[in-house]
Amino acid sequence: MAKQLFEWDYSSYPGAKKYPKLFEPVQIGNLLIPNRIKYAATEDNFNDHTGFITDADVAYIRRRAEGVVGGLCFMQGVYMDEARKGQGYVGQAACWDDKYIPGLKKIADAIHAEKAVAGFQLMDCGRVGAVEVPSGHGPSTVPQRLRIFKPMYEMTKEEIKEMVQQHVDATKRGIEAGFDIIEISGIVGYHISNFISSYTNRRTDEYGGDIRGRMKAVVEIIQGVKEVCGPDIPVGIRLCAEELLDDVRGNTPEESMESYKIAEEAGADYISVTAGWQESIVPVISRDVPMGSWVHLAKRAKEHVNIPVQMAYRLFLPELPEKAITAGELDIWEICRSMIADPLMPKKVLEDRQEEIRHCVACNLCLARLFRDAPMTCYINPVCAHEHDENFFPKPVEEDDEKEIIIVGAGPAGLECAYVAAQRGHEVHVYDKREEVGGTILEASKAPYGDEELMTCINYQKTMCKKYGVEFHLGTEVTDELIQDEMPDSVVLATGPLYPEIRGTVGEGAKIVNVLDVLGGTAEVGDNVVVWGNRKPGIGCALLLANQGKKVTIVGKEKTAGFDVNPSFKWRYMIYLRQNRVMAYNDCDIEEVKEGEVIVKTYDGYRFPLKCNTVVISERGANEGLKAVVQGEGIELFVIGDALVPRNMSSAVHDGYRIGLRI
Amino acid sequence: MPVNAEKEITTLWRNLHTAQNEICKTYYRWREVALEIAGPEAKPLDVALKAAEMMGVDIGKHFLPRLNWLKGEEPFMLNLGRQLAGLWAGEGAVTTVEQGESPSEILIRCTRDPWPTAARQYGVPMEEVALTREKLFQTILVDVSVFFSVPLKIEMLKAIPRGEGEWVFRLYKDEN
Ligand SMILES: Cc1cc2nc3c(=O)[nH]c(=O)nc-3n(C[C@H](O)[C@H](O)[C@H](O)COP(=O)(O)O)c2cc1C
Ligand code: SF4
Repeated sequence: MAKQLFEWDYSSYPGAKKYPKLFEPVQIGNLLIPNRIKYAATEDNFNDHTGFITDADVAYIRRRAEGVVGGLCFMQGVYMDEARKGQGYVGQAACWDDKYIPGLKKIADAIHAEKAVAGFQLMDCGRVGAVEVPSGHGPSTVPQRLRIFKPMYEMTKEEIKEMVQQHVDATKRGIEAGFDIIEISGIVGYHISNFISSYTNRRTDEYGGDIRGRMKAVVEIIQGVKEVCGPDIPVGIRLCAEELLDDVRGNTPEESMESYKIAEEAGADYISVTAGWQESIVPVISRDVPMGSWVHLAKRAKEHVNIPVQMAYRLFLPELPEKAITAGELDIWEICRSMIADPLMPKKVLEDRQEEIRHCVACNLCLARLFRDAPMTCYINPVCAHEHDENFFPKPVEEDDEKEIIIVGAGPAGLECAYVAAQRGHEVHVYDKREEVGGTILEASKAPYGDEELMTCINYQKTMCKKYGVEFHLGTEVTDELIQDEMPDSVVLATGPLYPEIRGTVGEGAKIVNVLDVLGGTAEVGDNVVVWGNRKPGIGCALLLANQGKKVTIVGKEKTAGFDVNPSFKWRYMIYLRQNRVMAYNDCDIEEVKEGEVIVKTYDGYRFPLKCNTVVISERGANEGLKAVVQGEGIELFVIGDALVPRNMSSAVHDGYRIGLRI
Repeated sequence: MPVNAEKEITTLWRNLHTAQNEICKTYYRWREVALEIAGPEAKPLDVALKAAEMMGVDIGKHFLPRLNWLKGEEPFMLNLGRQLAGLWAGEGAVTTVEQGESPSEILIRCTRDPWPTAARQYGVPMEEVALTREKLFQTILVDVSVFFSVPLKIEMLKAIPRGEGEWVFRLYKDEN
């Protein structure tokens, strides 16, 4: 009989009726998991730089354990060698010695405290490792394509045996710490996948050659780990279904499926299906990849193995895994970024509070931070990385301190601030001259390659404002007189940016339009367009126009186009600009606009003409409007979002949240 | 003020050529520094070849993200040839890339090169100029070969510093 660790009864929850498959039990090895939900292992760089678990990491994981409502909750992958070649992140948890067990126990206990199943992951980062040492280890010496990673050296057979033993020893420690299930991570170019791939494994001994040879080390690991786990602790493995490395002669999909079968034969209790490598040139999880794009890989896996199949990868809405499980294409819904963005996401699904989910916008900032040795943060979730700090959660204000607050602007900054302040007990009035909430995101979400998902942030904020009783005054422009009449206790200016005029000469017949009008489809735009501004709004607008067949050129003062987009997403925009033949002149300004052309001036004074019949203004500046009257009346003033300094949606949300907490 | 295209281009062009000349001169100035530090025992050609090797390995790493085997062998070889020629052109050379006799053979031709001229000013033997270029290209290919599992070779068929009027390099896949 399969063992169930905690009792859960979902029968009275509306979400379980809506998504019956997600809340159905599933057996993995001899363990019965009450539902089909798994928080997938997530490196966060929160631990100390010698691999010891911190309180921040424990608090982070506890929130996610609460979120899986009895399902699987995995901690980040641990590295297992004292030489630190397997360490991929400065704050990665270590497990090469018994001294790490007490810290790991805190994680297992935190997960159990939420009645969830505690998962322990073994992750030697291989080619992506050696973050603190000069070189890393791998099956063969294959140069790195991305220069941020360290050179790799071929392991001897003795070193391979040692590496297998490290997995076994770390497993013993994980079990002693109290974990219920073990996972070996062979994801996206880490050590296990380096052995399996024909791209990185060029060995001619028994650990190389055909797919069986390349799987030999992996089989030894699975068998060794299984032996210490015994019948009661299941062992799973994350393996690539498609490496997407054809350009460097990686594995074929057939070889990948063969690796699944070999893992099953070796005793794996489940397969977690992954796609792509860090080094792959094919996008896998960024916003430009539609949700659900990779489910066919889980289906393929199901056709090749008999053990349960799990998968994440842009399954951001419960409808997608529910459908896949019903169709027999998937067994368990893995979630990573959706639960970075909203740790309680599946819990909200269970309670049928889906509109209260703060959705991940697939920007990959979380990943970009890890590769820059910084603690993980989230673009959209201001609490991420602060779960251990009670000051980051809204606290009710004393009755005497309740304020009447006017927030000017119903964009992401204003809305975020509004519901947080209202949740704390303030009386909050949001004004906007538009008839709709959303601010500039209403237009920004019209840019191509997935930007419509930005509206999920506004929809969430709208729901929360409604929940906490924020009063809206839409279609109302706030004037000095309105402030003087209302005389609130505080004013928050979230009015969005101002769009400056071109500094140079503007001649007769020049056509100049605003980026919002272009994105919103209300401006008429000619065939030869110059977009002034090389940050994200300019890029989004340029791509929209290029998609309409126009010849678009970007001219902007930043040194690189998209400097405000994180590197883990920016490369996508650079490719789209190239594909759409959009030229970007960076470190440049517009000196003159005439009928039919603009004169561009480079930072060092060169000037050249560009054919152009419409200039789109996407440069932005701070917005000082209403500041004088608020200060003049002695009213408490806060300026947030683009009105303070034009940045991105993340800064708006984070500004709004923090001021909402403080006010 | 209207743009005077001729003036803008002339200034840019002049600055480009100054920069290109400086690349060669800076290299030869550093060569003198290296030889002085290495002492009288060191053979200048050995020092130059070691420098070419170190630079080549580093340049090769920059080539990796820009190459793609997926497009097929012929475009891959052509692209690689263009990258080598482009590197040289950036230094002021006039280069062309041609398909050789087979899909895996590329000829890189250079009809004008600022390096021998600069070398002469610093008293560098012409044979060293020829061998350094060859070594640079050979070492660039080392990482590229390993990375893509393609045995790449390059050989110098002609060299301006040898008085042969042009440089010709044969880039090919070594099937043996
Ligand atoms: C910030 C971050 C850290 C991750 N850390 C790990 C890890 O430690 N181990 C692992 O196997 N996968 C790791 N992954 C991969 C995720 O578990 C997941 O498979 C991937 O993000 C795709 O799922 P998603 O679309 O739900 O985010 C990480 C992903 C992210 C974004
Ligand atoms: S940082 Fe971006 S990708 Fe990562 S979880 Fe947050 S919204 Fe999603």
